[in-house]
Parts: sequence; C-alpha cells; structure tokens
Amino acid sequence: MSLTDAAAAPGLATSEALRVRGATKTYGAVEALRGADLTVRRGTVHAVCGDNGAGKSTLIKLISGVEAPDGGEISVDGRPVHFADPHAALAAGIATIHQDLGLAPRMAIYQNIFMGSELTRRILGVPVLRRRAMIARSAEFLAQLNSAITDMTVPVDTLSGGQRQAVAICRALRWKAETIIMDEPTAALGVRETAQVLALIRRLREQGVTVILISHNMADVVAVADSVTILRAGRTVLERATEGLDADSLSHLILFVGAEAA
Amino acid sequence: MKTIIAKYGTAITGLVILVVLILFARNFASSANMLNVLKNTSFLTILAVGFTFALITSELDLSFANIASLAAVVTGGMIYSGIAWPLAALAGLAVGLVAGYVNGLVVTVAKVPSLIATLGTASIAGGLAFMLTGGVAFVGRWDPVFLSLARGKVGPVPVLIFFMAAVVIAGWFVSRKTPLGVHMLATGEATEAAHRAGIATRRMKRIGLTLSGLAAGIAAVLLVASLSSAAPQMAGDYLLNAIAAVLLGMTMFEPGRPNIAGTFVGALIISVLDNGLVLLGAPYYLQDIMLGLIVIGSVSVSASVLKKAAFSV
Repeated sequence: MSLTDAAAAPGLATSEALRVRGATKTYGAVEALRGADLTVRRGTVHAVCGDNGAGKSTLIKLISGVEAPDGGEISVDGRPVHFADPHAALAAGIATIHQDLGLAPRMAIYQNIFMGSELTRRILGVPVLRRRAMIARSAEFLAQLNSAITDMTVPVDTLSGGQRQAVAICRALRWKAETIIMDEPTAALGVRETAQVLALIRRLREQGVTVILISHNMADVVAVADSVTILRAGRTVLERATEGLDADSLSHLILFVGAEAA
Repeated sequence: MKTIIAKYGTAITGLVILVVLILFARNFASSANMLNVLKNTSFLTILAVGFTFALITSELDLSFANIASLAAVVTGGMIYSGIAWPLAALAGLAVGLVAGYVNGLVVTVAKVPSLIATLGTASIAGGLAFMLTGGVAFVGRWDPVFLSLARGKVGPVPVLIFFMAAVVIAGWFVSRKTPLGVHMLATGEATEAAHRAGIATRRMKRIGLTLSGLAAGIAAVLLVASLSSAAPQMAGDYLLNAIAAVLLGMTMFEPGRPNIAGTFVGALIISVLDNGLVLLGAPYYLQDIMLGLIVIGSVSVSASVLKKAAFSV
C-alpha cells in the first residue's frame, strides 16, 4: 500500500509534513493567535497542547482550512499553501477529525466513510453509486485499523465512541490523507474506548500517516505522541520531543513555560 | 418485528384501509374507479416528490402550490394568446424551475429560514398569478394535442399515470442511486458534517428547493391540460395534501426520513381515503379533518423515531 511505502522510505520519514510560521488571527478585539509556530515531521504523532484559550482550536482551524490566517505562513511538504475551505485542505492531504461534527449519525458506516467522495460508475453518462464496492472497501479500511465492526450498513449512532473515531479515521484514509488532525479524540470516552483510540493512532503511525493530536489529556499525549508543541496566549512557547516526559512534567510545562512572556 | 412495524406499519395500515374500502364502499373496486384514483393521485404525487427533495435537504417549501398556480397561469395565458403549446408548456416548467431556484437563493444566500422564505415567495407567486389573469380563468379553445398530455390514454391507462410513474422512478433513482442524492441526504442529515466532508451543502439545498419548483411546474402544465383552463389558486388545494403525503411517507420504509417511496405510498393512501370517503357518503369536511390528523400524527411518529422534534425552524 502507498501508505506503507511512504513510511518505509527513509528520506521521507524525517521530512516535514507541515510547517506553520508566525500565524496570527484576530477575532474582533480578541487576538487568538499572536505568532504561532508548528513543525510536524512526516510519519510522526505530534501533539498540540495548551490551556483553554491558548489558541489550539484556532491553529487547527487554520491548518484544516476552516478559517484563513490574518498573517503568517502555512506550508505542506515545504510548499506554501492557502486553504480557501476545508476541501482545499483535504485536497492537500490534510484531513481533520472533529469530536462530534464529523459524522452523520443516522447514515450508514459506509455512507459516512465515503461521504463527499462516493465510488461511482457511469451508466449512460449518469454517475451511479457503487454501494457494494463501497461496503467492501469500508470493511477493508476498518480491518486496516483492527476494528471488529463487520456490518457496514448499520447507522453510526449505533456504534461506541471509539468505533465512531475509527469510522471518522476511515473517511480520512479514504481521502488518502497523509496528515490526520484529531481534535480531542478521547475527550468523551471511557477508559477502554480511550485505549482503543490510542491504539488507532499508533496503527496510523505504523502505516506512515502523520497525526496531529490536540488533547487536554496529558497521559494520552505522553503515551502516543513523538513530539509536542505547547501554546500559550496565542504563541508557541515550546516545541520538543516527548521523550523523557511524563504526564506531570508535561502539565508543568503547559502551566509555566513562557508564563512570564504572556 | 419492531423494525418491521416501524418500516412498514403505515403501508400495512394503508393496505387494510384498501381492503376495507373494497369490501364496504360501493364501486370502489371497479377498475374504472381504481384508474381514476391513480389518475387523480398523479398531480398530488408529482408535487409531493418535489417537496420530498426540499425536505431531504432539511428545507421546507410552502410555496410549491402557489408556484404551480403561477406556472399554470403562465402556460394557460400563453396558449390563450395563441402561442404554440410546446413553448407555453416549456415556459410553465421554466417558471417552476426559476421560482424554485429563487427560493434556494433566498434561503442559502439571503439566509432567510425556508419556512419564512417560502411563505413569502408563496404570497408573491399567488399575487403574480392574480396579476396575470386579472383574477379570472383562461378558458377557451385548446390544442387537442396539448390536452392529450393529460387526457390521453394508452389502452385503458391514462397517460397521467405514466407521467406520475416517471417522476416517482426518476425521483427514487436520483435520491437513492446517485451521488447527488446522497449529498442531498447528508446535507439534510448533518449539514456541518457534510460541509466538512467537502459537500457543497448550500448548493444541495438550492437544488432541493429548485427540484420542488420544477415539480410544481410539471404538475402545473399537466393540470392545465387536464382541466383545459388556467386559474390563479388552481393548485392551492394541493399544498396540505402534498405535505401530508410526504410526512406520512416519512413514517415508512426509512422512518424519520423523507423518502420517495414513502411519499408515493403516502400520496396513494391519501387519495384512496379521499375517494373512499366520498364513495361512503361521508361529508366533505371530513377530508380536511382527516388531513390535519395525518399531518400531526405523522410528525409525532417521526419525532418518536428521531427521539427529538422532527422539525425545527
């Protein structure tokens, strides 16, 4: 698979998947971002941390194309990009998985996975859905994530929180996303489901996918992330490997690094 | 068992009503009456299929009946003033299409909630229809070829039934088998999720409302041919009937979701009930009461499936 090839190529494994330099964003009188930087290496799990109001959500909105930055630069694979909308970000290989907003609860698993990019064939020039092919491909995607779900036609609202994350990830894989942004993927989940989602993230990294993880949960971050960016008051105050960090020391960094600058 | 009742309960009830009427209503089961019921269902069904598309994208269209009246008056007026009927028929379709698109623009660009937007355009279309006719009907000599659009028969079967079948099959195909259909569905089910998946949700809503307008145009042209006249308000009675058919349809096959098959069966049930009540000698106002009960009952059933209010404004 192409995903695995990318991971196997040593040159690519250390190259930059995404870089943000000096991003600024103002909402009325509120300066949400005042110069945020982010460097994410390909094939790694990179966490973005910070207290409430530090600018995490705004930064993610810029990367995922939901909003445009007022200033600063975003580049993908070393090339500057300007995303007009989320679709443009998807086209550049960046998919975002949101807590709640990403799925249509009453639609089937396969319909959710292929939402917006259905498999079709032309009959007399009319594009017609290939339902069976989509069901089969969905099963493959989910198997790739070691998921136990077998019936692709059940509505998503019958699944557990962890399973829904798996479905959302499959949609990103369907888009051939090279970078997947996960916004608080474990926020609403129990212990077992959280473990499932962390396993999903590791599985993605094994397959060469770059994961940007936004999380409030320090234990999750140190458990799966290779590196972390810490935001404070709209600025990046630290970017480092998670090696040698535990949940407590990470919390300490978030609370105190750069505090005098803010 | 529970899901069977949820999916097919309404349709089974419809069958029971059918059997009761066959047994107790004189002349109901005659093939002439059956064909007549189907024929009369065609206008209702065509309008209801259009409304279904609007509702699939989670937008209401309260203007389709008045748009149909306006389109009918335009078609009738053009034929009346000596313009070739194919042109007049095309103009009627165009009126429906454009009016539906205007609804779409008002909802997606001017951001007026569809309930209010289409209430407004309904009033405008109704006013324009009166303006064009001066309040009276266009009646006169009509081209027999044009009239045969709605009055012709293939063997014993009225042509109208084929028009209805074509609209239902096309509507079912588009909504279930094409990417456009699932994009409209996703837009209605979860607008934000659809938008983030790259679906042009506002465009889908415009298409839904435009299809509702187009269906109104089709129904209007056939109505003019069927009645060989065109009057303002001529389609007005179909408003609540068609809405009731769609809401009743939402209680079957795909509970809680507007769907073309449900709409068709819903329209059939309403027509059969109307016809049966007349044949049983029930007073005419009973139909209105029944319609109101169907509308309220259907939405409450859908709401229990959805575990929330079926509609919000």
